[in-house]
Amino acid sequence: MKVFHQTGHNIKWNIDSFNEGVGDGLIYSPINIDADKLLGLDLKLKSTGFLDPQLYLLNQAKGSIETYPYFPGNLKSDFATPDLDNDNINLAKLCIDYQLKNDFKYLVIPTKYNAENPTNYLIQCTDYFVIPFCEYAKEVNKDKKILLSVIVKGIMLTDDEKRNEILNWITGHQNVDGVYLIFENNFASKQIKDFDFLFNALRLIKILKDNQMEVHIGYCNTEALLYSLAMPDSVTIGSYENLRSFGIRRFQETDNSPMRSPNARLYSSKLLQWVDYGYIQPMKTLVENYADYFDESPYNPLTNFKPDYNWQFKKTEPYKHYFYVFNKQIKSLSEDQFDRIENLKINIKTSRNLFNKIESSVLLDDDSDGSHLQHWFNVINAFQKEIS
Amino acid sequence: MIRDCKIIKELPQGGQKTVHLAVHPSVGLVVIKRGTIKSFTSLERIKREVELLSELKSEYFPQQYHFNIDVKTKEFEIVEDFIEGKVLRDSMANFKDPKAIFSLMHFLTNGLSIIWDRNIVHRDLKPENIIIRPNGMPCIIDLGIARFLDLESLTKTISPMGPCTPIYAAPEQLINNKNLIDQRTDFFELGIITLELYLGIHPFDPQYVGNHFSIVENIMQNLYVVETTKVKRDKAIADFASKILQTQPYQRFRNYRMLKAYIDQNI
Repeated sequence: MKVFHQTGHNIKWNIDSFNEGVGDGLIYSPINIDADKLLGLDLKLKSTGFLDPQLYLLNQAKGSIETYPYFPGNLKSDFATPDLDNDNINLAKLCIDYQLKNDFKYLVIPTKYNAENPTNYLIQCTDYFVIPFCEYAKEVNKDKKILLSVIVKGIMLTDDEKRNEILNWITGHQNVDGVYLIFENNFASKQIKDFDFLFNALRLIKILKDNQMEVHIGYCNTEALLYSLAMPDSVTIGSYENLRSFGIRRFQETDNSPMRSPNARLYSSKLLQWVDYGYIQPMKTLVENYADYFDESPYNPLTNFKPDYNWQFKKTEPYKHYFYVFNKQIKSLSEDQFDRIENLKINIKTSRNLFNKIESSVLLDDDSDGSHLQHWFNVINAFQKEIS
Repeated sequence: MIRDCKIIKELPQGGQKTVHLAVHPSVGLVVIKRGTIKSFTSLERIKREVELLSELKSEYFPQQYHFNIDVKTKEFEIVEDFIEGKVLRDSMANFKDPKAIFSLMHFLTNGLSIIWDRNIVHRDLKPENIIIRPNGMPCIIDLGIARFLDLESLTKTISPMGPCTPIYAAPEQLINNKNLIDQRTDFFELGIITLELYLGIHPFDPQYVGNHFSIVENIMQNLYVVETTKVKRDKAIADFASKILQTQPYQRFRNYRMLKAYIDQNI
């Protein structure tokens, strides 16, 4: 299974990390990198990755997306959805030509975001994107595989009718080789603790794999470990939280408010959790061998930059540490699905024991503790039962 | 061309068409079909079928030689290849053995892949629409309600049921869910034919399913048999049927390459 860097702000961290051997490629984010700058990047940085075209909101000129030739606002200043009736072919050509110029590994068909889930949404996606993209791709491209971007809303996972609809739609496109799957995350907690959501996400991935499609899951947080049990082709690692959880706000022009400053966190593959640095100080005092709860890496602030590391969420080290540790964790997963499942169950039990030890002296909040792990465990058991 | 044909006899044919067997001096035995165009939709369907058949030039489909419409009388005439052989309905006894059934499915899939590659769905596969030639090869006939996915749909959205032979139709045809019609719809129909060949009865027949629903209702509820008191379950046939007789298209094979790979494992 591959690990892609979901890039965004500070792509340099991802490039550095990739150049140091972490991850298998990069997924590029037009709102964060100028089109010409991306064209100028070394081909070896692009030939293993792909573009997230980010036409989610069509005409919202967030960040540098307007520098892209296929940005609808460049075709028409007040471009709106109905304009796709006439401009869909042109847009497809511009978008594919740009992707081909960059020589990415895959060609990606964009998708449009809808806050609601209108009945004609999938038909529109077919007419506006899938058909013109596949036709033009067939004309100009002989080798590259085609991925279809799909935003999966919560209701598509939990409602049978919606789930059937999205699965029939995805699997019905014969010219598409795989899917760039994005689970919309509207949860308030940092970890997803919803059994139905996670269980049905696993089932959806499995069904797509049963249909012999490549499945690349974008915007993953640590639940990528859980998704891995359905044997997708790739998951992602990302730095800031908005690269590890898909929300449409990131693509809205109006969202220019200063970024709120969350506390810095450090990921632990042993705890299967990001721990707020605010708890690390008390752990240092109260938990014996506290550093052992975290992984060794060239970027671990606890072991490499002590004693006075300035924890700050914009600092690179905790993220590079995460890239390093999580990539290693994913790469160590068994190729055998049943071993993978059993191993993760063992890891979850171990993590819960470690949390018990920590919390015998340091109490953690819901976003740093192991309260997501029981949900993971239950999801795994349900999934295991279904596939056995 | 039609003037050069010499009528031999009238052939039985359902619907509004008259059908004659004739002989043409250069191509030999042909079938002449004549009928009245009832509506723009029926004209368009005939046109699409004729154009397709005249392009296909495959032993899996009848060759089309001539098509003409008389605008004044609104009548059409078609001259096509006469396919020697028996319809599958009359030669089912030759396809009882699972290997023979999978072999037939292999050839049918080969033939159908020609139209599937053109984004066309037959939508009316049944034993009456398959002729087994003397050499054992199938010929697929009657593309009259085929769905051309790249062309505008001719089916009214408000119709409760889409064009089909109901007892051989996939669930998406029966509820007229036009967006779900694709090659996987034909896979479902092949699934019914497979089980019917093996069991000798329609697998959704309520008499064998053991309920009081109709065949169509049983298709909608996915209730069918894979064995009877006379015919024991065959694992390969049952597994194949259970895959392609799934209600949701995504639960069937995604494309004919997957279908073919599965079939070929069982030959």
